[in-house]
Amino acid sequence: MIDVMLKGLPFLWQGLLVTLEVSAIVVTIALLAGVVLGVGLSYGSPWIAWPIRLMSDFVRGLPLLVLIFSIFYMLPLTGWQISNFWSAIAALAVFETAHVSEVARGAIQSIHPGQNEAGKAIGLTFSQRMLYVVFPQALRRFLPPWINTVVDTVKGSSLLALVGIVDLMLSIQQVIGRTFKPMPMYVLGALMYFAINYTLSQISRRLEARFAYVRE
Amino acid sequence: MQYHLNFNLVWKYFDKLAWGWVLSLELAVVGIAIGIVIGLGLATLSHGAGRIVRTVVAAYVEFIRNVPLLLLVYLVFYGIPSVGGFAYDATTSFVLTLAVYAGAYLVEVFRAGLDAIPKGLIDAGRAIGLTPMQLGLSVRVPTMIRIVLPSLGNAFISLFKDTSLATVLAVPELTYGANWIYTNTFRIVEVYAVVAPMYLATGYVLLLGLRLLERRFAIRRR
Amino acid sequence: MSGNDRVSLVQVRGLTKAFGTNQVLKGVDLDVSKGEVVSIIGASGSGKTTLLRCVNVLETYDGGSIQVDGVEVGYAEANGRRRPRRERELARIRADIGMVFQLFNLFPHLTARDNVMLGLCKVRGMGRRQAREVAEQWLARVGLGDKFDSLPIELSGGQQQRVGIARAVAMSPKVLLLDEITSALDPELVGEVLTVVRELAHEGMTMILVTHEMSFARDVSSRVVFMDAGRVAVEGPPREVFSAQAQTNERLRNFLARIELKQV
Repeated sequence: MIDVMLKGLPFLWQGLLVTLEVSAIVVTIALLAGVVLGVGLSYGSPWIAWPIRLMSDFVRGLPLLVLIFSIFYMLPLTGWQISNFWSAIAALAVFETAHVSEVARGAIQSIHPGQNEAGKAIGLTFSQRMLYVVFPQALRRFLPPWINTVVDTVKGSSLLALVGIVDLMLSIQQVIGRTFKPMPMYVLGALMYFAINYTLSQISRRLEARFAYVRE
Repeated sequence: MQYHLNFNLVWKYFDKLAWGWVLSLELAVVGIAIGIVIGLGLATLSHGAGRIVRTVVAAYVEFIRNVPLLLLVYLVFYGIPSVGGFAYDATTSFVLTLAVYAGAYLVEVFRAGLDAIPKGLIDAGRAIGLTPMQLGLSVRVPTMIRIVLPSLGNAFISLFKDTSLATVLAVPELTYGANWIYTNTFRIVEVYAVVAPMYLATGYVLLLGLRLLERRFAIRRR
Repeated sequence: MSGNDRVSLVQVRGLTKAFGTNQVLKGVDLDVSKGEVVSIIGASGSGKTTLLRCVNVLETYDGGSIQVDGVEVGYAEANGRRRPRRERELARIRADIGMVFQLFNLFPHLTARDNVMLGLCKVRGMGRRQAREVAEQWLARVGLGDKFDSLPIELSGGQQQRVGIARAVAMSPKVLLLDEITSALDPELVGEVLTVVRELAHEGMTMILVTHEMSFARDVSSRVVFMDAGRVAVEGPPREVFSAQAQTNERLRNFLARIELKQV
């Protein structure tokens, strides 16, 4: 068992790097877009908030796999020359952005409206209120659940193997295809995913515990 | 870009989607049923039990929650038979995986539910002379079910979406049906224009049903 | 009304405001001159808080006009027709109007000093050192000279409210709006807050207060306004309103009687 694992390790390692790369890109896009949309959901006029709400519910109501397949196979039809790599990332990014926007919305709306009013009363503009009053307070309600979306992104990235992205998941399959010994590879791959995600969830849990001491 | 919508090919093979949808539901129902047994069993086991038991249960939960479902699906279907010597068909394998997956999430749900039972109810039960067994069955479990109902419902809706992964084992559920139509007709837009609403509508109906159940049965936290 | 030929600092004319189908303000007229302290009293639902919140446009108003120092706060002129003010314009106008809230609304992640400095730095454009001096000055003035580095959570209700007052007054507003600032305080903490307000009044700060503290209103105000069902029902110097007018206006009489009962 162990020697098979060791032989496959270099290949899985390469796959792991791709998984990390893809996850990092998607997490970044989803964070930026998700926070903007979350602000739009919380403070935007109905013309802005409703379309965001609809898109978000639509995307989150579908299985991730369905979203990936549809976006991945439909994008080429638009005539836009986009690589497989970026098509796949786009699909995963859409999914995660919807989730991050929900987390952002929840964090922002948990802030007492009086805070926004106090900011208005001393003459702060909208962006100043966001930057100096709302975000600093929303941050601690945002971080723990956001880290959970990062974990979901890493897990979700495994589905990209099904559209040909050579990430950790596909590397596992490829090595098994050559060695015909599935179990050692699955176990090794599982340990790798576990290492990343468990670390992340522990960070999330610590943060949550730390923030719980700030009285409401 | 020339693309002419033609839904006829989708309607022609709609039975694949319809039956696929039914199978997805079946997979989810059986999955959560077994998952509830696992989750409830482990939750009651670790509730107030020793450190070793709780650590083992926690290890199971942490492992399942941090590893992608896809990997678990492959591991159970390809990996286990290769070391165990036995084999099972794709559907059985997938349902087992789904159950183990759901079980891990439900352990947390049930454990929180058990903790949330008001102590007063237990005291009242003891005061009228119920045995621990009767207490468990007649007081703890019914109360806890009402408390966890919303989480259970949401878990089921999630699980229904997760059945889409059965595609990789060629289990003919809804996503598999969609891909089959795509590979045979190349009507990607049309097929997903039909399948996406099917998933969304199902989720929405399930959500409405859950709300109704909650209104009837759930204990609302004050 | 005093000083007819003096232009009022705050001038409200025919103000109307509805929340959905509920017409909360049905045509309010009010003048507040520089240096005046006007107390607005009335039952809940009379519109007094809504009126106050319209002055710095925390609530928009439907019809009528509110001018602060000659500037219409809620609307701008554009080719004869008026349009609601944009966020940036409102921010500038609000910088000159101070508000103290019933629930304090201090920024919990900032110290007392930073709470006061935020507006000075970001809105008044002061440098950090200057803002710090001004902030500490005002905090000392309200009796919190030893609490510069305290977070709101470490302060009592009365102390938090005094920080709220300092935060508003440090901006050198033209008029100060006080929205039931003692209603959320434990009785023994009310006095310290009212002392600060009394001092500000003596120093000539123009103030509009919505309050339930009748004795305080009587002490400190130059004028008392009694609102009833979305309109100004009674208006005049405190002595008049609390005695003579009370005889003639039945609603006012009943209102005062109810308040007396509660305060006994």
